[in-house]
Amino acid sequence: MDMIRLGRRRTAKGNDSLPGEPAAQAGVGQPASGPGPAAESASQHHADGDAHSGQDVSGRALLERWIGFSHLQQRTLEGLRFELGRVSDLVENSTLDISGRFRDLAEVAREQTRRVEEIAVLAQAIEIDGEPIPLEQVVNSMQELISEMINNIVYLSTKAMTMVYLLDDVQREVVDLEKSIGEIDAINRQTNFLALNATIEANRAGDAGRTFAVVANEVRNLSRTTSDLAVRMRGKVTSVVKGVRKGHDILRQIANTDMSPQMLAKERVDKTMDCLVQQTHHFQRVLEGAAATSGEMSGNISTLVTRMQFQDLTKQMLEHARDSLEVIGVGAGELAEETKGVLPAGAEVSVPQEWLDHLLGRFTLSDVRQRFVRHLLLEGTALDDQGALDTTAISQDSAGGDVELF
Amino acid sequence: MDYLTEQTEREATVRMSGRLTFNDHAKMRALIKELMLNKAKQQTIELSRLEFVDSAGIGMLLIAREELANSDKQLVLRAAGGQVKRVFTVAQIDKLITIQD
Repeated sequence: MDMIRLGRRRTAKGNDSLPGEPAAQAGVGQPASGPGPAAESASQHHADGDAHSGQDVSGRALLERWIGFSHLQQRTLEGLRFELGRVSDLVENSTLDISGRFRDLAEVAREQTRRVEEIAVLAQAIEIDGEPIPLEQVVNSMQELISEMINNIVYLSTKAMTMVYLLDDVQREVVDLEKSIGEIDAINRQTNFLALNATIEANRAGDAGRTFAVVANEVRNLSRTTSDLAVRMRGKVTSVVKGVRKGHDILRQIANTDMSPQMLAKERVDKTMDCLVQQTHHFQRVLEGAAATSGEMSGNISTLVTRMQFQDLTKQMLEHARDSLEVIGVGAGELAEETKGVLPAGAEVSVPQEWLDHLLGRFTLSDVRQRFVRHLLLEGTALDDQGALDTTAISQDSAGGDVELF
Repeated sequence: MDYLTEQTEREATVRMSGRLTFNDHAKMRALIKELMLNKAKQQTIELSRLEFVDSAGIGMLLIAREELANSDKQLVLRAAGGQVKRVFTVAQIDKLITIQD
């Protein structure tokens, strides 16, 4: 009778082998214990013609072992189905969660893009009196204002100097005027002197000179009037001179105020304006880059979310696997039942302990191990809603044998 | 401000040096009168050795141009540099007087 080799290679001592190599001497009905020596001889190789009864006995033992194994197999398959279901759920939930977060991220990126675009627009213009004016226009109008200001300074300077020259001329004229008044005085004194002489001569001439004396007298009167007039004129001229001199002084102060530093300030203003415009253009370029990057980010995230759709496929593939496991499990169960029916009454079927230990020993996740314990030993009856081990149910069950629960 | 005049048939050249400010107004007036009297049609003021001009100086140069124009003569300003050139640029003097380098 052939033995079914199950998977792994055996060493001489059988440490790496699957447990349950038939321990021939163990006999029928006893649970196999430990990794049995893999001796080829320690087998139920009743290859040659054994007695019919011997064959029956060994055949039965084999069948019983098969049935035990089949039960284990069934429960393992159920356990696997369950685990695959958990895997599917885990992937689904995680994917949903991640997708949701990516969508939030994409929204944030879009919001950023909007803000950046807004700044790019704002940076191009300055709001003055509630109206957005393009920066170039602002700069140009400021430069024009300053140019006009400087033109006014130049104009005023020219006019001020013209005034200075005019007043220079006026002062000179006034000096001449004063001289002329002096001459009037001199002439007047001379006239008076002559008139006095004439009066004296007229008196000496007696009656004949009477008319002459009258004329001479009139001349003297005229002379006095002229003198008074000259005095008044001189007074006026002195006032004019004072006024002109005062005006001249003030004008000189005005003309002496050097505005060239203010004019040269335009150089600095022009330079500043140029830098401002350049900086604004630089801003714009950077912002355009930022907007593009944000947009790119949104695009990438959209692609990511689409790629999350692998989860659908995963779910389906796992479902296929689960279905297959179910089919095998059901088939194994049916076969086991049939086989059991063939066996005489009193046959003992037991859980192959070494197989069990080997199976459970390979789980590194303790909660997976726990769930498998439930499925394998307690036929899935002591799991709570989350598939977690219900420890109270475990303690009531004693069919688990020596399996340790961590 | 100081100046030296050179004269040919067609052109009179005045070399100006120092600083042209308000305090030179009498001197400048005398210079203008001199330029008015000489026969050349083109009067050039050479400014390479002029270090500084104030706003009054600019006014006086413009008066000179006007007076000469009234006598059918042309004023040319040549070789301005340093602060003088900067003031000419900022005040856009080239729009009012012929400027040469």
